[in-house]
Amino acid sequence: MRPLTEEESKAVFTKLANYIGKNLVHLIDRNDEPYCFRLHKDKVYYASEANMRLSISVARPNLISLGTCFGKFSKSGKFKLHVTALDYLAQYAKYKIWIKPNGEMPFLYGNHVLKAHLGRITEDTPEHQGVVVFNMNDIPLGFGVTARSTVDTRKLDPTAIIAFHQADVGEYLRDEDTLV
Amino acid sequence: MDVSNLLAAQASKFQSVTVEKDTPLDVDAGFLTVTDHNPIDEDSYRSNLEEYLKSTARDGIQALVAALYVLPTESSVDGSFAKLPPPTTQLPRAKPLPKPKPLTKWEKFAAAKGIQKKRRDKKIWDEEKQEWVNRWGRDGKNKEKEDQWIHEVKANADVDFDPAQEARNERKSRVAKNERQRLQNLARAQAAQSEREQRKEELEKTLAATRTSTASMGKFDKKLEGDKKIRGVKRKFDPTEVSAEKEKQASLAVLSQLDGDAKRAKIEKGTGDDVVNVRKAIRAVSKGKGGVALGREVSKRSKDSGKSKRGKR
Repeated sequence: MRPLTEEESKAVFTKLANYIGKNLVHLIDRNDEPYCFRLHKDKVYYASEANMRLSISVARPNLISLGTCFGKFSKSGKFKLHVTALDYLAQYAKYKIWIKPNGEMPFLYGNHVLKAHLGRITEDTPEHQGVVVFNMNDIPLGFGVTARSTVDTRKLDPTAIIAFHQADVGEYLRDEDTLV
Repeated sequence: MDVSNLLAAQASKFQSVTVEKDTPLDVDAGFLTVTDHNPIDEDSYRSNLEEYLKSTARDGIQALVAALYVLPTESSVDGSFAKLPPPTTQLPRAKPLPKPKPLTKWEKFAAAKGIQKKRRDKKIWDEEKQEWVNRWGRDGKNKEKEDQWIHEVKANADVDFDPAQEARNERKSRVAKNERQRLQNLARAQAAQSEREQRKEELEKTLAATRTSTASMGKFDKKLEGDKKIRGVKRKFDPTEVSAEKEKQASLAVLSQLDGDAKRAKIEKGTGDDVVNVRKAIRAVSKGKGGVALGREVSKRSKDSGKSKRGKR
């Protein structure tokens, strides 16, 4: 376990900023308790300082996880967000998509969001923008990247893809063994 | 009454507080160290080693304690403290002496001519402002000409002659010249490295590259005698335990840097500032009909007003 280098923090922050924009400051500069990012076995964890200090005493091979896993670095140094970060993303999301009840299951099985399933969308969402996907009861289901801007979606046919799937809560079941 | 016997008996019970040796003990109170330069008494050393060592150690400690009691003391709640003097023993340097830096062209010239280096203050007195101002940098004196509100211009100057710009250009060119000279000095220092050294470095690099250029990245190659293990660059990370405040500041610094990058990219792309969301504004004005409809409406209105004017006439 170690803190992120500057390059790594840049990779993580740019990825997070794609979803939560300037709200990223609230993750770093919290009023309640100091939190920090830690890298452990290529995975990036977001943990309170107290938690982090406790986990220092755990040997590297024995430490499975600490705090919240935000994602992992690939071998080529790219950062990929995991669904475990969803709670924080949903809390601070800048752009959101709500999907109708009939679209929930297809999304939770790892499919893209279709126009037919789109319930609501934040207006002025640009193209290729990270969005958090909610169901109509405002429960976060996952996140993705918009395929078109809000304006362009109006003209599309119902089978067109609105948002590309990135992660969904179905992964907790599907990828149970690799998630942690 | 003769008390000399009694005194002698008493004295024999306690050893003397002063240590008498052939060569006086070397006490360095600063390091709390005593060095005994006396030769070892071979007989007692052979016959009773423990006893001998104990007695020499006792003498040393006694000398040290005696030296400590001479020192000036400070009394506090926890008792009295002796103030240790600076150590007198010279310890050897841990690191080798730094290599002398290669001289710059100016330094060489100055040394040849015997020119002494004069320190120039960063601050300089400004007669007009009646205060010390920076020689350069923020509100520096060297920018005075660019910032003054009136300039003297020669009669034969061009129409588009800008004295402030001219002064700025001159200053910028001076900065550029300095940078050029700095780079030249660096290059000269690099070249000063001997030919042989350079060649050796190059060879080592090539050798390291060839050793990892097999299918197994050099893992199953025959080892030659005297082959050293190739050492890569060691990565260095921050300690796991730093103060949260420090870490936060570092994160925020990275974040602000990212913000700067994003802003710069935006400006270069030309999407402009995000003070007004143009699309949203158009929609609000056109009541959701869009920019084309708004344009049509406006042109129609202007035509109408034109007609009415004509009608009046």
